[in-house]
Amino acid sequence: MGIVAIWTAVIMAAVIALAALVSAKPAGGVEILDALGRATGIVGLVMLLLAAALSARVPGFDRWFGGLTRLWKTHHRLGAGSLILLLLHPVLLSLARAGSGPDAAVQLLFPPLSNWPIWAGWAGLLLMMAFLAPSFSFFGQPDYRRWKLLHRLAGPAVILALVHAWQYGRTLPGDADKWLWLVLAALSVGAVAWRFVFSRRIGRLRYRVEHVTAVANNLVELVLEPAGRRRLKYDAGQFVYMAPFDRELSAGYGEEHPYTLSSSPDEDVLRVAIKDLGDASRAIQTIRPGSRVTIEGPYGKFFPDREPQKQLWIAGGIGITPFLGRARHLLARNRSVDIRLVYCVQDEARARFLDELHAIAERIKGFEVIPHFFYRQGPLDEEFLDKRVPDLSEREAFVCGPPGLNALARRLLIGAGIGRKRIRTEEFELL
Amino acid sequence: MKKLVYTVFVAFWAAIATLVVLNALSPDANEERPRAEVGPDGLAGYSLTEVAEHDTLEDCWMVIEGVVYDISDYVPRHPAPPRVLAPWCGREATEGMRTKGDNSDHSARAWRMLERYRLGRLVEAEQASRRGNGT
Repeated sequence: MGIVAIWTAVIMAAVIALAALVSAKPAGGVEILDALGRATGIVGLVMLLLAAALSARVPGFDRWFGGLTRLWKTHHRLGAGSLILLLLHPVLLSLARAGSGPDAAVQLLFPPLSNWPIWAGWAGLLLMMAFLAPSFSFFGQPDYRRWKLLHRLAGPAVILALVHAWQYGRTLPGDADKWLWLVLAALSVGAVAWRFVFSRRIGRLRYRVEHVTAVANNLVELVLEPAGRRRLKYDAGQFVYMAPFDRELSAGYGEEHPYTLSSSPDEDVLRVAIKDLGDASRAIQTIRPGSRVTIEGPYGKFFPDREPQKQLWIAGGIGITPFLGRARHLLARNRSVDIRLVYCVQDEARARFLDELHAIAERIKGFEVIPHFFYRQGPLDEEFLDKRVPDLSEREAFVCGPPGLNALARRLLIGAGIGRKRIRTEEFELL
Repeated sequence: MKKLVYTVFVAFWAAIATLVVLNALSPDANEERPRAEVGPDGLAGYSLTEVAEHDTLEDCWMVIEGVVYDISDYVPRHPAPPRVLAPWCGREATEGMRTKGDNSDHSARAWRMLERYRLGRLVEAEQASRRGNGT
């Protein structure tokens, strides 16, 4: 629903801008180029400001978008659209002037320094290229830290773009330009203020590492106890942004990363299972008990509020964590269910938490764990699901794993007659 | 998505580079702008009152840096829409010519084109009459 609202706003901005420009009756190629140049500027900035507004990551807000992963995807697409349009904007406007000679076109692009609003626009656009370069892998695969640091340039870029638009806002009738930018600027500045000021003060909850369980040589489960007055309220399977504050860590001190909660909401403690996937998650394998961490969340909406009767869970590798949290929660509630969990891993050694899941399955009526070993059984296929999962087509499916497995599972489930709307996937990759 | 954004990114710099190179190669680019204020003598003189009578887009006179121009024929070809020009018809329009409404001067080429529409010089009627009164 949130996604629809966002794109409606973008389309409305485009329609209004084009309507205002058409009402001025552009005649001939030059005026049409000029009109398109203005329209791309307006719509591009609207998209940039909406993307900024979405970056607030206010807990609970992402539910309107079907979870934070989807919200980030919308943010990413808005950013892409905005960069494309804002790159076209000066080119179209200067081409519109090229009719009276290339000097007129170049004059528009590079006016005397006294014409500062143009230069503000340039500065904003250059910053945009810089902070979006890693997001769109302009120069190879970016690393998380550099991407995050560069992305902070978005703040000054947005401000410069607004200064530029404020000075040139004369395309829409009356004061409509000014109002449009005021409202969107308030939204995006509010979002950034939340992100960098308020969320640090009130959004982040303080916890302490009580215990570290080494589940495998590249996987730990942290048990966190509350260290502040407030505790996190969440549903099983949601995720949080966690920042560790242990000076001994070799990387990622104070750096926030998203992790899925593997605990049941009924427990007093939080559990987070972390697999060594990058510098920060590798370093955190050695975090010391007693260290302070901050938790922000919860995010995500993997399991719906209304629980379906018959469920099929498909987990791939570390994608088991939301299901682990859910299974622990079911155990605490102690009700009978009808759930089949297909747990796809490469081999027995990599089937983390399998013993615990089997133990839970023995105690909950109707919950069965079905391991699937890639090295022995090949990729997951229809035959396996048909044989092992009764009433396959009647089930509601939840899939969490690497993108490849998610796509494969989706294909198999649709083939088995489960409608698209009854398949939910959660991806671990955030971009 | 990534490919599309990257393509536009490269195309952007290609377009900017093309415009800059074209401009550098264009023979007129670095010519001095003709100094409008040294208008030739012996041309007809017009007062602001006379100029003010030609204040429509179809009959549009402007005073720019002391020179009177009749740009009626040029209005349809001007890159900015006519409504931008309309307020300047029939009056002193140096500001419009020098700032284009966004603080940027017209190009050297535009200034040269303007000379084709020169009518005469602005006669400062009041000053002249004061002189006539012996002050």
